Amino acid sequence: MISRQILIITPLFFAFGSAIISSFYTVGKNWQNFVLGLIGVLVLFYLGLFFTPSIAGTFSTPSFLEFSMDKFTVFIGAIFFVSLFTGLYPIRNKISLSPSFLYFIAGGLGIILSNNLSTFFVFWTFQRGIPFVRFIKDIRHGRTTGGGTYVVQHFLTAICFLIILYLAWQSGFLFTPFAEIPASFFTWPVLLFAFIVIYESHGIFPFHSWIHDLVGKLPWYEISSIFLARAGILLFVKFLLPTFNQDPDAFKLLLLTLSIFSSIYWSYRGILEQDVSKTTTYFYVAQSSLLLTGLQADLTAAHGAYLHMMVISLSGTALWSLLSYVQHSFSLKRSNQFYGLAQYYPKLATLFCLFGFCMIGVPLGASFVVEDLVITGLLEKQPYLGLGHIFATCLNGILFFLIFTKLFLGQSAYKQQVKNMDMPVKEILPYVGVLLILFLIGIFPHLFLEKINW
Amino acid sequence: MSENLFLLTFFSPFIFSVLLGVLFFTKIKIPEYILSETVKWFSLYMATISLALFVLSWINSPSRILLDYAPWIEVEHYQFKVRFIIDLLGASYAMLSAALIGIIFRFSRNYLHKEEGYFRFIFLLSILQFGLIIVSFSRSIDLLFAGWELVGTTSVLLISYFYAQVQPVRHSVKAIISYRICDMGILAAGAWAHHYLHSTDFTVLPNIIEHSHSGIATITIGAFIIWGAIAKSGQLPMSSWLPTAMEGPTPSSAIFYGALSVHLGPFLLIRFHDYFSHFPALLWAIGIIGGMSAIYATLVGRTRSDAKTMLGYATISQVGIIWIEIALGFTNFALFHMITHASLRTWQFLRSNSIMHDFYENPAVQQNVKISRQMSFEKFFTGNFKKKVYVHALHAFHLDYFTMKILSLISLPFRIFIKFENKWMEWDTRFLNRLLRKGNE
Repeated sequence: MISRQILIITPLFFAFGSAIISSFYTVGKNWQNFVLGLIGVLVLFYLGLFFTPSIAGTFSTPSFLEFSMDKFTVFIGAIFFVSLFTGLYPIRNKISLSPSFLYFIAGGLGIILSNNLSTFFVFWTFQRGIPFVRFIKDIRHGRTTGGGTYVVQHFLTAICFLIILYLAWQSGFLFTPFAEIPASFFTWPVLLFAFIVIYESHGIFPFHSWIHDLVGKLPWYEISSIFLARAGILLFVKFLLPTFNQDPDAFKLLLLTLSIFSSIYWSYRGILEQDVSKTTTYFYVAQSSLLLTGLQADLTAAHGAYLHMMVISLSGTALWSLLSYVQHSFSLKRSNQFYGLAQYYPKLATLFCLFGFCMIGVPLGASFVVEDLVITGLLEKQPYLGLGHIFATCLNGILFFLIFTKLFLGQSAYKQQVKNMDMPVKEILPYVGVLLILFLIGIFPHLFLEKINW
Repeated sequence: MSENLFLLTFFSPFIFSVLLGVLFFTKIKIPEYILSETVKWFSLYMATISLALFVLSWINSPSRILLDYAPWIEVEHYQFKVRFIIDLLGASYAMLSAALIGIIFRFSRNYLHKEEGYFRFIFLLSILQFGLIIVSFSRSIDLLFAGWELVGTTSVLLISYFYAQVQPVRHSVKAIISYRICDMGILAAGAWAHHYLHSTDFTVLPNIIEHSHSGIATITIGAFIIWGAIAKSGQLPMSSWLPTAMEGPTPSSAIFYGALSVHLGPFLLIRFHDYFSHFPALLWAIGIIGGMSAIYATLVGRTRSDAKTMLGYATISQVGIIWIEIALGFTNFALFHMITHASLRTWQFLRSNSIMHDFYENPAVQQNVKISRQMSFEKFFTGNFKKKVYVHALHAFHLDYFTMKILSLISLPFRIFIKFENKWMEWDTRFLNRLLRKGNE
């Protein structure tokens, strides 16, 4: 039992320890290699646990912090670190990681492992607090024209979270593990505030505006680590899902409708957007919005949603990473023109295209299986909302093609005839490995679906 | 025998495209000669087995073979079953695909000689062939959709074959938008059939709806199928993408927009004809869409001066007539029309480049060719009306304009919200700025 407790707490301990040390000793390239090495070790750690048959366990401190580890937590942890590693390793020589990055990782890990409301709140506030403090400083010194919405929204959401904590404290469930909270606790106020916290954390309409503020102000890997922690999903699965069947139908309908509408909104916003980085982020968020629909529908759709979570985490981080590699050499501000970058980066263009195909439901890619499962499951519950989901998927596909064509196809906007800018083959290997897995899942889905039974 | 032949027909293009894909992504250079020789023998092999399957299906006709394999996706109580049907319709289309793709492979050996993207072209065509085989023999809407998407994706990638030019890329985007909007129809049809009729199997759906009580749902499923067929066939209101999709290399235009991709719409309607026959309203809809598209494409096509664009409109027009035949119940005749039209149109597309050369530079051809206006229907139009029709046809009856207007109307609430959101975000930062400065003071 002790060994399991150590297994749960060790990665968190290492992540926080490294983050604190790095605050004092940020030493350029060596530090960057250390961070990547740490992520690599955590990849092996969580993948090893994922393939271990029995790994369930909990770890409680004497006071209010409680962590747990089960198959689902390990799954999210594995996706978190594999995605970050795939995204960062190939471009390690092109970027310099920000000193606060380890705090994002540590906060994300805390969110993933937390097992009661108080622990979740601590890590959720911690991770969201890093940009919060940064934006406050920037606004105070007049260094930024944005960031206000992030601060206001998270402040208001934190208040909603505090109200839930207060209600839980009154009922005696503040330190109770999520799975042991009875259905009677979920009264309308609790449901409503939980809904706000979950949907705001996941960037779902109408609590989504903070995402606009992050893009361009935070490096992509920090934004990615916020999304990869899947705070909204985890809170939904651990807190609401166990008693979800007993919740009022109107509440369920509201949740489903908003997640589908949110995906449509993000796709449309992406189609209109001119900034390339924003467009890619909106595409990612549009896909993420659909995760909650699958989880809310039924068990078939939930399987699709878990698979979807993996697909969008891996592919989305890879897309960001590829874009960041290109942006290292080319300034890609506006997307109202064709950049024609396939001439300079043929391999990267192919990878970008394939990762996108893996996300938008092209057959033989993993997301075709996802679409089939989620739409089938959703239709069992809500036939008309199923149509909305189909429409959202269609718009996502159009948005991806727009991004791809604008970035890589067409006549090059650049005059210089620079050749051989493509990534070296050995650097591409992590991308290729992930792509092979995604296509393997698309062709033989049962190999993976058997593994996500929990 | 038929089953073994089918398995060969199904797996051969898949294995071939995987092998090509591995070579493509590992950047292993294969000499063009070896590649084109391999492709030649592969296409001969595909044509032979498809022909054999067609002959067997013809002999056994009207009976058909139903094949059920282990589920592809299986979760809890849900199964995505892999079901195929070997019948005359599917075998005819598979044979047509194999024959025409073989011809295209042979033609492109000279046409794309020493082209940088020759390998890419072959790779995409082999995926197309795999997609077409899935569509031809699938017995359920879900599986058909997988093949349908593969055909659409390869089609878009081939339109932007010359990816360093802006125009082909723009037109590929237009094509993908049209495809995606209409593919929703097939996906929705599959999903609703699964929900309301508890099956997506074409062979059992007509029997199920006879005993089904969900009338509106069943007719909606049929409407979704028609909507799905519209974009691939370039029928109204999704006609404008097809003539602009000719930016890819001529062999790909021939195979997609003259022959195989464009006839998938009628193929789907014939597959579902037993279902549609329960709903006269749907048959009327098919006939009206086909008729209007035929008239529209004929009028617009006659105002065009570019050979490939004219052929594009002529294809839409003929496919419209095939839709009418299907609506009238002449499915066998429609199948025959499809095969002959696809073959003729492939030849016309492939000949379109050289015929211009011959016409302007070869005196022997000039002497023998006379453009006849004797049979032109335009003589029925007179005076001002003729001019008006001409001007509107020249602008393709403002189809793109109306589509854009409708889309912008639909998106109006979003645009209003986005404006409001932007203002709100500015206000947030300004408010915080003031608040923090006050705190400092």
